[in-house]
Amino acid sequence: MNQQAAALVGRLQTLLATALQVPLEEVSKDLSFGDLPQWDSMGHMEVMMSLEAEFGVEINADTIAALTSIPAICVYLKENQHA
Amino acid sequence: MPEQPPAPVLTLAPDLTIPAHLVGEVQSKLAYVDERIQKASVAASGERIDLLLSQPLPNQRLVEISEKVQRVVASMVKGAIQPKVQVLEDHLDRPVPFQADPHPELLARGELSQEANGIFAFGPLLARLMQYFESQFLSLADSFGAAPYRFPTLIPARYLERVGYFRAFPHSLTFTTHLREDLEIIDQFSASAACEGGELNTPARSFAPVQALLSPAVCYHLYFALADQPLPGGQVVATAVGNCFRYESINLTSLERLWNFTMREVIFVGAKDFVLESRELARQRVAQILRSIGLAYRVESANDPFFIGEFRKQAAFQSAFQLKFEIRARLPFKDSTLAVGSYNYHQDFFGRHLNIALPDGSPAHTGCVAFGLERMAYAFLAQYGLDPAGWPGAVQEAFL
Repeated sequence: MNQQAAALVGRLQTLLATALQVPLEEVSKDLSFGDLPQWDSMGHMEVMMSLEAEFGVEINADTIAALTSIPAICVYLKENQHA
Repeated sequence: MPEQPPAPVLTLAPDLTIPAHLVGEVQSKLAYVDERIQKASVAASGERIDLLLSQPLPNQRLVEISEKVQRVVASMVKGAIQPKVQVLEDHLDRPVPFQADPHPELLARGELSQEANGIFAFGPLLARLMQYFESQFLSLADSFGAAPYRFPTLIPARYLERVGYFRAFPHSLTFTTHLREDLEIIDQFSASAACEGGELNTPARSFAPVQALLSPAVCYHLYFALADQPLPGGQVVATAVGNCFRYESINLTSLERLWNFTMREVIFVGAKDFVLESRELARQRVAQILRSIGLAYRVESANDPFFIGEFRKQAAFQSAFQLKFEIRARLPFKDSTLAVGSYNYHQDFFGRHLNIALPDGSPAHTGCVAFGLERMAYAFLAQYGLDPAGWPGAVQEAFL
């Protein structure tokens, strides 16, 4: 993982910790939907809104269904030039 | 008899235009803004709201109501996420011979009697039709080897709390209670209880705290029966029928929306693939049943009627993950459709919240196929009328 990718993962870990209201150390680099009780349906929508605010990600049915893990969010942000 | 003044109408323009896909949802939620609202309608343009009030109100109260309406609209519309509508089956153009609303004729014939808003008693025609439809859904359950269950009408409050029901659907809850165990209170009730305008005149302090509610769904009982233990055999298929209760305020206008209705469910608990494959197989088998019944319908994605604060996020989540599909039967007399059943997938929500464990220790996934028997009968009669001679052969035969 290069430095830029690592920085993005770190940024996402912080974003998820805030959105899900959990300690940063509970957010692993490959955290997925359902791994934490807080990342449930409501938690997921909080994550989506944080991604919208932080990276300008459009919240729609496709992004809601696709962005269900930190690796998936990283790939999406890179492919869509948000990162 | 003196002429009654017309009921006052409060008309307002929402600060945010209500998008077409939310007009119905917002309209139904306006019922819960204020007890004085007798009827709420949102124009198709989403730019006008009319509230029929039960009586003239001072300006200050009108301002308060207007502010609450704006709050509801803002909460549901601001940042609204367009649902992804997916149609799995479309048989809405299936030819049906009837065009009228069967409701008035059912009342006139004594086949239906209204006890209160959303509460109806059903005569032989409707009862036999519902029995027939239920037999069809039972055959569906049998095709999966579903184990029969019987569940209570009451459900403990702590059960609903554990699955977040109070947060998601507070508006539709129906509470039960009883008189407090206090001789004076019971004697006083016995001596003076009376109904005034349909309401019992008993002081609220006479009632015990709420421990149980009338159950809003059938499948919850199964999930609680399976809670806090490994799932037997790794998967369960069950079926049950039960009375369900969802209070819908001024929306309880006809057989389309009942406070007390009957639901037959086929319920799947197990691994993700098992639940999803079973739900899909059930849909295919139900399609055959509905073909033999001759029902004109469509199966399309849907969302549950979450309350205002939860609606935007929960509905978007359900839509994105295609968690719910409704069987929407055509109502020819009003050129609209009515949900008569649904195919639901809850992911591992109940498995996680209720600690239902698969053999590998991961939380079980759940899903259910649910049919509203009263709505099935109503939609069928709306399409085929009350004369069995005009019904499809398969249904006629059941009445011979």
